[in-house]
Amino acid sequence: MSLLTEDIRGLVGRTRTYIAPEPFGAAAGRYFGLAIGDDNPLYSDPEFARAQGLQGVTAPPTLICETNQYAGLPIGDDGYAGHMWQIEIPGTRLVRGGNRYTLHRRLRPEDVVTATWSISGVEEKVTRSGQEMLVLTSRAVYTDQDGRPLAENEETMIFVSLAGNS
Amino acid sequence: MTAGSAPVAGEAIPPLERCITLTSMVAYAGATWDWHRLHYDPEFVAANRLPAPVVDGQVFGALLVEMLQDWLGPRCFVQTLDFTFRNLVFAGETVRCSGTVTEVGEGRLSADLRVDVVGTDGTVDRAAVAPAGARVLLGTAEGPGA
Repeated sequence: MSLLTEDIRGLVGRTRTYIAPEPFGAAAGRYFGLAIGDDNPLYSDPEFARAQGLQGVTAPPTLICETNQYAGLPIGDDGYAGHMWQIEIPGTRLVRGGNRYTLHRRLRPEDVVTATWSISGVEEKVTRSGQEMLVLTSRAVYTDQDGRPLAENEETMIFVSLAGNS
Repeated sequence: MTAGSAPVAGEAIPPLERCITLTSMVAYAGATWDWHRLHYDPEFVAANRLPAPVVDGQVFGALLVEMLQDWLGPRCFVQTLDFTFRNLVFAGETVRCSGTVTEVGEGRLSADLRVDVVGTDGTVDRAAVAPAGARVLLGTAEGPGA
């Protein structure tokens, strides 16, 4: 039986929007830099950042696509508190395919982020070992408090059929 | 690229190596507001028949950007970054980010990138992320949307 049912096709176009309750903050970028071991002074030294042409400190560029800070969602049993589509396809296992980020400008501490997620596509494929899989692509558009674009994040999730697995 | 010289197509980007400790994974979970138990909880990990806590794959995007910025200096702007996950990476493993410049144009470059898990002797054990790629604006710390 095909994984690509009418219900699954109907997911395309589904949208969800999250508006951060407060500005992003300088500490968030500095904390992320510390966590990943990136001591770039752009994230901690306003004078250095201004000397490079920025308004002040910024965050590591990918943080906006990685954080759940804006979502305001409760912590689930598995500990996750970020955006999810809550799609369950029986007889499959979910693996992450990858991401494509497009960054429009550096994040500023005063930015209030809005993230709008949408399901942009779903297609059926077959793995190299012959298993059916469903590739679901969703896209987040991040904007600032004036609606200007900050970044985009296209994310691929893959539901691999367990049929035929021992 | 030597100090003061422009990058050229075919040039290897100085690699970035990082041991991803459980402590750094917990810090990353806090910094991203992603407290999924897969990334730190031994009980949850064992129940899912995994050998150790799993590194959040998106950290590799951050490390690839760090590698590019460390190489090109603060006056560059990563405009696009794409990456495909290949294998899980577990707490305590060391990854190596690497890349090669594929194209250089007016005020920009493109590069092919990858992330590998390496052993204690520095040999590649398996790919964590491949393929991956970036387009970087040169001479400006800020993006075109500023």
